[in-house]
Amino acid sequence: MGQFIQFAINGLMSGAIYALIAVGIVSVYKATKVVNFAHGYLIMFGAYFYFTFAVIIPGQDWAPAWLASWKPDWMVEMREGLSMFSLLGAVLDWAANVPRIICGLIGAVVCNAILGRVVERTLMRPLMGQSVFAMIMVTVGLISILSGSASLIWTADAAFVPHIAPNTPIRFELFGSMIFLFGADIVNMIIALIIFGSIVAMVKFTKGGVAIRATAEDQSTAYSMGISVPKIFSRAWVLASATGAVAGAILATRNGISPSLGLFGFSVLAIVLMGGLDSYVGCFIAAMAVGVLEAMTQWKMGGEWAEIVPYVAVLVVIIFRPHGLMGQKEVERI
Amino acid sequence: MINGNLKATYGADERVLNNRNKQMFVFGSIILLALFPLFADDYSVLMACKMGILLIAVVGVNVLTGYTGLVSLGHGAFVAIGAYSTVIFSNLFSGLPTGILPFIVVPMAIAVSALTGIIVGLPSLRVKGLYLAVATLAASFIVKFLIEQDLFAPWTGGIVGIDTPVPSLLGWELDNKREMYVLITALALGTMLAAQNLFRTRVGRAFIAIRDRDYSAEILGISLLRYKLMSFAISAGYCGLSGALGAYFFARILPEQFGLDLSLELVAALIVGGMGRTLGPLFGVVVVMLVPELIKISMAAATGGSLELARYTGPVQEIVFGLLLVFFLLKEPLGINQITDRILRSANRWPFARG
Amino acid sequence: MLSISDLYLSFGGIKALQGVSFDAKAGEITGVIGPNGAGKTSLFNAISGFYAPNRGTVTFDGSDITGISPDKRASLGMARTFQNIALFRGMTVLDNIKLGGHTRLNTGLFSSFKYFGSARREELELRRDIEERVIDFLEIDHIRKYPITMLSYGLQKRVELARALAMKPRVLLLDEPVAGMNREETADMARFILDVQEQFGTTILLVEHDMHMVMDICSHIVVLNFGQQIASGTPAEVSQNPAVIEAYLGAAA
Repeated sequence: MGQFIQFAINGLMSGAIYALIAVGIVSVYKATKVVNFAHGYLIMFGAYFYFTFAVIIPGQDWAPAWLASWKPDWMVEMREGLSMFSLLGAVLDWAANVPRIICGLIGAVVCNAILGRVVERTLMRPLMGQSVFAMIMVTVGLISILSGSASLIWTADAAFVPHIAPNTPIRFELFGSMIFLFGADIVNMIIALIIFGSIVAMVKFTKGGVAIRATAEDQSTAYSMGISVPKIFSRAWVLASATGAVAGAILATRNGISPSLGLFGFSVLAIVLMGGLDSYVGCFIAAMAVGVLEAMTQWKMGGEWAEIVPYVAVLVVIIFRPHGLMGQKEVERI
Repeated sequence: MINGNLKATYGADERVLNNRNKQMFVFGSIILLALFPLFADDYSVLMACKMGILLIAVVGVNVLTGYTGLVSLGHGAFVAIGAYSTVIFSNLFSGLPTGILPFIVVPMAIAVSALTGIIVGLPSLRVKGLYLAVATLAASFIVKFLIEQDLFAPWTGGIVGIDTPVPSLLGWELDNKREMYVLITALALGTMLAAQNLFRTRVGRAFIAIRDRDYSAEILGISLLRYKLMSFAISAGYCGLSGALGAYFFARILPEQFGLDLSLELVAALIVGGMGRTLGPLFGVVVVMLVPELIKISMAAATGGSLELARYTGPVQEIVFGLLLVFFLLKEPLGINQITDRILRSANRWPFARG
Repeated sequence: MLSISDLYLSFGGIKALQGVSFDAKAGEITGVIGPNGAGKTSLFNAISGFYAPNRGTVTFDGSDITGISPDKRASLGMARTFQNIALFRGMTVLDNIKLGGHTRLNTGLFSSFKYFGSARREELELRRDIEERVIDFLEIDHIRKYPITMLSYGLQKRVELARALAMKPRVLLLDEPVAGMNREETADMARFILDVQEQFGTTILLVEHDMHMVMDICSHIVVLNFGQQIASGTPAEVSQNPAVIEAYLGAAA
């Protein structure tokens, strides 16, 4: 039982990050009807940007010293004699990194947003109004372009990237069994949930959100009602790659940076399909379910089998519910 | 459409090579292909073999994606199944005389691939377009994962790969690349011809009908279930044959040869060459294989063979591959075949109006 | 030949068909008319198998076909055209029409690969048949090699009829065969429909807005309004029916 709760919680924590990545895919789909196969590679770029702004730039000679490591005298004094596993010790270690974490996150979000906009303008916009198939295949081509570019730009071996939050171990008792968690994982989950929630709220309640939904319903009607469809397109892409940057930063701190981060996007794509491409709620449920299922598989069958859980799950769901758990069936008029 | 090619019988009008230019093009190509190994160096023969192997798989993807309109991003898995089945069955039936072994093993490999194709194709009955693309992608990840598992390593060799047998056709040992070239070219031409024939008859027309308008196909008596699965089986079977040839061609096969990269290469070759056209796969494969070669050669020349800069070759090849795909989607969605069609058409009408 | 009895069909709360019953007699032309949204196309979709009715049966030549799929109905000898032309746009006229022969051919997968031999014989026979029986008949020989996208609307409608005729149907369902056509094209189409009935003895069921044409060529007319069958009978009977007049002209008239 104790093990079960531990793995379930781990699963929910990765589920939240899946949901954060899924939100990017769903938003682009809702607005443009394009499934972005390269979303994982946008996330990889986010991770590399975070690495650049949080590690490479602060490490340069020209960068101010406080950016790399902010250690005012009072902090050094407080830190003395504390173990790195104590709560205060972990917080103080983290505090020294705060400037570069902020620099990293801002840099990653801004650069990725620009990247998303560039991709939309140069590759997606020319195909607007033409076949969706071509647009989707363009995102497939984008996979190679992004993956090749990343290995051209970031040739250095990826080193340690700072955690976004103090990574203190936390132990507590739940239903009579010890649960063991890391502080950073909890904060990551909260960040992911907040971003997910605010995007869903935005789409549901704001004027811009209504425009997105109208565009999703019928592009040409939305256009004729005075909604600037191209603007919606580029906003959706910017939004997706900006949230992708945060997800990339989180993944970088969890699993390290490597070109295989791009493959991560495919498992999230599977999750999005399970949930139903146009349903945030469905994707959230699917993300959490896959997170927990993965954790359970890891527990019972070993880590490597966890890797195919999303793919098996999506095939099973598609056979029984072709449009996902909550997706809308498209009605065809004859 | 008056083009000076008048026919007296239905038979003449139904011919594929219905004018002189087309006939000259095809027969000329065949003669060139036959003479090729006599003057080409070893490396060119090797490249030609690789192209032939890839071509057969792309022809298979063309049946499914180009003609039936079902998108698959996971066809690398069928090539893998063909290759691994060939090795596994060869080891299994090693008691049989080696001369007839390929005649048993290869059809079995094709059958296993086709069967897997039918299973993977099952969602296609209920889902369309991109759902199917993701479903096939998921299936291919699962196949590759299973091949890599220690559990199956006694048969598949696991992640480190497995040695492959040398094919022997009734005592003719194909142990060098030039001999393999003969086999591969013959099979590649044969499969292209078979695909061409398929689309001159009832079965192939039904595929195109499903692509263009599925409910309209149904009303004409075409069972979507039957034909979609048949299309999956055919395309997977082609990929299986390609995999079997690959297994015979390479000394060793590894799971990583059949990953996402291969699946994307197949689709990209098809799009670049021209979807739903007989010669599309041929043009596509030539471009997709030659362009990275040219990059390698020109980069080696530019950097003077420095190892320091040689590591940029891979990423540059990858980027150019992506750009190629994107370029064709944006500028010539019907592929190279469309360009050659234009040229052929104006040649055919010469000296009259072009267009 | 084709008999519809007590057909009910609803989508969620919308009742598309409520108790429609009629017979399309063998060798005759039966017309279904009604204002927009009366359920005419829903009726056709139920007859050809795209929609499963909630209640009622469709009987074809004595056997109940309510539950079988559209492609099986086609092999029984039922052909149809669509209101918004449903031709295969990636093909030539000839290939579109050849597809109509699908159910009559037997070439299997492996003889297809081979082509030469039985497949070729069958294809040439099909080509001869549709050239002589359909293309010539509908006067579309000049466009047989054209891609569909190059044709005018009226010609596309005619090609769709040709495709249906290539099936050698026993029952032909025509969904608004002259919608959007000019007077000359309408007259041509009406002539072709009458010719089909005369020369091949095909049973025809058609849905149409053009009252003149329906009155001219149909021997039996069914009138639908809001999914209900409000009248049925010969053109003369129907045009005198007060309910029909009301549905078309409004109560005040």
